Amino acid sequence: MKKKIILVLVLVSFFGPAFSATPQEILRGYESQSGKASPARGEQFFNAKHGKEWSCASCHESPPNHDTKHIVTGKVIKPLSPNTNPERFVDQAKVEKWFKRNCNDVLGRECTSQEKADVLSWLMTVK
Amino acid sequence: MKTYFLIPLLALLAMPASASKMGMPADAPKSYEAECASCHMAYPPGLLGQKSWQNIMSGLDKHFGTDASLDPKTQTEITQWLMKNAATKEKYSALAPENRITKTSWFIRKHDEVRADVWKRTGVKSPANCSACHADAAKGDFNEDRVRIPTK
Repeated sequence: MKKKIILVLVLVSFFGPAFSATPQEILRGYESQSGKASPARGEQFFNAKHGKEWSCASCHESPPNHDTKHIVTGKVIKPLSPNTNPERFVDQAKVEKWFKRNCNDVLGRECTSQEKADVLSWLMTVK
Repeated sequence: MKTYFLIPLLALLAMPASASKMGMPADAPKSYEAECASCHMAYPPGLLGQKSWQNIMSGLDKHFGTDASLDPKTQTEITQWLMKNAATKEKYSALAPENRITKTSWFIRKHDEVRADVWKRTGVKSPANCSACHADAAKGDFNEDRVRIPTK
């Protein structure tokens, strides 16, 4: 019995890291670095332009609950909402990587923890 | 009798030779698909020469108008693989203007019959969207006979 438990733990430690978080955990992490998330503010942020050519919705569309196409290349982008795509917001490093890239594209700077919390909290309400 | 076996055998032998120059190498690191092919097709490395790939990989924070930056480990992994598999024939390895595959002289010549409005169709969007017309482009199949241009 003990051996089985150890085996399970070993397996989890091997395969766990890629899917080690839940959207709720990631959201709590951002909230702990800022304030309580506002889904309404997140929705507005997602759909607005921020001084540059694109908004988040330029590639992900709004609401982002279906396959969309990259505005320049036409490459299919899987849905962003964790409710329609369970692979979203389950890997902290991946989430950080894409926030960094895409915030630079949309705002010309990195997003704050509050902005990330707001957007994620809204995405979690998108069905 | 023997010739019946010989013909398909010869055909098989001939195939890799014609497909290899643009083919996708089997040893592509997982990171290539994950990092590069999220936003565009996984371009076979044989579409550009070493210097062009080097230029692209050293400027990922400003990658054709977007931030495509990578962590150092992944960046090294992908760069090394691109270098190893970059085009070697002079025609394909010449330095690409703006580091764009679509600005190389061979690309322009191959597509000179495609009208300007065709590139702008919703189903195409950009000359960089190879798979719009070459369905198996990501596998390195650019065979002219299999080209299907979207009508809209």
